[in-house]
Amino acid sequence: MKHAQPGRSGRHPLIIETRNLTKRYKDFVAVNDVSMHVRKGSIYGFLGPNGAGKSTTMKMLLGLTAPTSGAFEIDGMRFPDSRVAILKEVGSFIESPSYYANLTGRENLDIIRRILGLPASSVDEALELVGLSEFGGRLAKKYSLGMKQRLGLAEALLGRPPILILDEPTNGLDPAGIHEIRNLVKSLPKAFDCTVLVSSHMLSEIELVADDIGILNHGTMLYEGSLDNLRAQAFASGYAAENLEELFLAMIEQDNLLRKQRAVL
Amino acid sequence: MSALSIELRKERRTGIVFVLLAIGVLGALYACANFLVRGEALLGMPLDPMDILLTQLYGMIVVINMFGVIVAACMIYGMEFRGDAIKKMLVMPMKMPSMYGSKFLVLAVGLLTAVAMQNGALALIGASNLPEGAYDPGAVIAFAGYSLITSMPVLTLMLLVSSRIENMWIPLGIGVAGFLSAMALASVDSPLVLAHPFVLMLKPAIAMSAQPDFLAIAVSAAQTVIFLAAGLWLSGRERYE
Repeated sequence: MKHAQPGRSGRHPLIIETRNLTKRYKDFVAVNDVSMHVRKGSIYGFLGPNGAGKSTTMKMLLGLTAPTSGAFEIDGMRFPDSRVAILKEVGSFIESPSYYANLTGRENLDIIRRILGLPASSVDEALELVGLSEFGGRLAKKYSLGMKQRLGLAEALLGRPPILILDEPTNGLDPAGIHEIRNLVKSLPKAFDCTVLVSSHMLSEIELVADDIGILNHGTMLYEGSLDNLRAQAFASGYAAENLEELFLAMIEQDNLLRKQRAVL
Repeated sequence: MSALSIELRKERRTGIVFVLLAIGVLGALYACANFLVRGEALLGMPLDPMDILLTQLYGMIVVINMFGVIVAACMIYGMEFRGDAIKKMLVMPMKMPSMYGSKFLVLAVGLLTAVAMQNGALALIGASNLPEGAYDPGAVIAFAGYSLITSMPVLTLMLLVSSRIENMWIPLGIGVAGFLSAMALASVDSPLVLAHPFVLMLKPAIAMSAQPDFLAIAVSAAQTVIFLAAGLWLSGRERYE
């Protein structure tokens, strides 16, 4: 089911590349031999059901957890030797918002701004981008879930980093918020000249923003390629090309079935 | 310097700086109030007036300091775990040991300030209440340094423990258990009990002389270096699984 890797044509160089990335916790394999190719300037949608290993993969890319085996490069640099240089280039939002509960939204961003050595104006710019300007002076612990989510996004966007790693950024937002953040993510490569790696468990969400996608199930990459190729594949497999959700669900179901059969044997 | 200034900004509204300054004020007020009430009885004891001034008032002061250090150390990492702020710090282009070092500096300077306030009060009491020629400012400074050095193992141990455990109540419980066990062991006449960091901190309070114990100083210095080095090393290997 795997497709030709994106970016191999040479038109867009790869900015994130993993090779056989694996993360094992005792007898549980969270990420299994994942080779991923993210083109510079693209939006890469990382898709998979809950517990597929998307967050673990992203955590490995950020050095939050160490791979059991395999390797990866971000803009030609590797962990742990170039940890600080990599993290200077990457804005991230993983799993849930992270914030100092005792500080206001603006103060939280100011801490990050100071660490990154950015001008004071970048805080207001980030608040404006995520629609939090009005609530910048409120304590983060008093934010609603959606506002915390927006604060997490503002932290990731602060200073317009060339690479953004966003793990389910629309979680906890209302439909209008989802629409707004989706449009923001979509506009980022052009507006900020950046690359976005965004994860979701909903294909309907990803297909509206991504150029390339990677589908993960039980830690294994089932598909990697462009959305256009996935559509062609859906059409060839007898699914309506405009309904990728069915193909996605069929891929997951087929993989789960194979796993069950292997487990019985 | 930048890491320290960022650390101080992070600590807004946490009460960490307040706790450290409060123990200084509380300790100084206790010393003044105690001497005001029991001054004559204390000076009637068959001891050198400087020993009376420094050791007889230090018992309650060291308990105040110990609890202040335990609480402040728990809070200084508790704020990182609350709201998962530590996860954001781990993906920032900064070295985690520098954050750990800044937290250590905040606690150490806070405790130094508190000890300075308390010993300042003792100096005032000594200068105005001790018999003519008995007051020795050098002894106050030496005792302040001694009490600060013997407090550092508890400070560095509590910082290390609170940096490794997300639930703030567990390091707090460890601190209370350390205090209670030290109270039971403090009067045991064996150099082995000096291996207990909380006993070391109580050492100047249970002695009848204000003269620094050089074995206690040496053990304190060694424990401080070990706990601090362990904390710095572990913070550099921190992950968020």
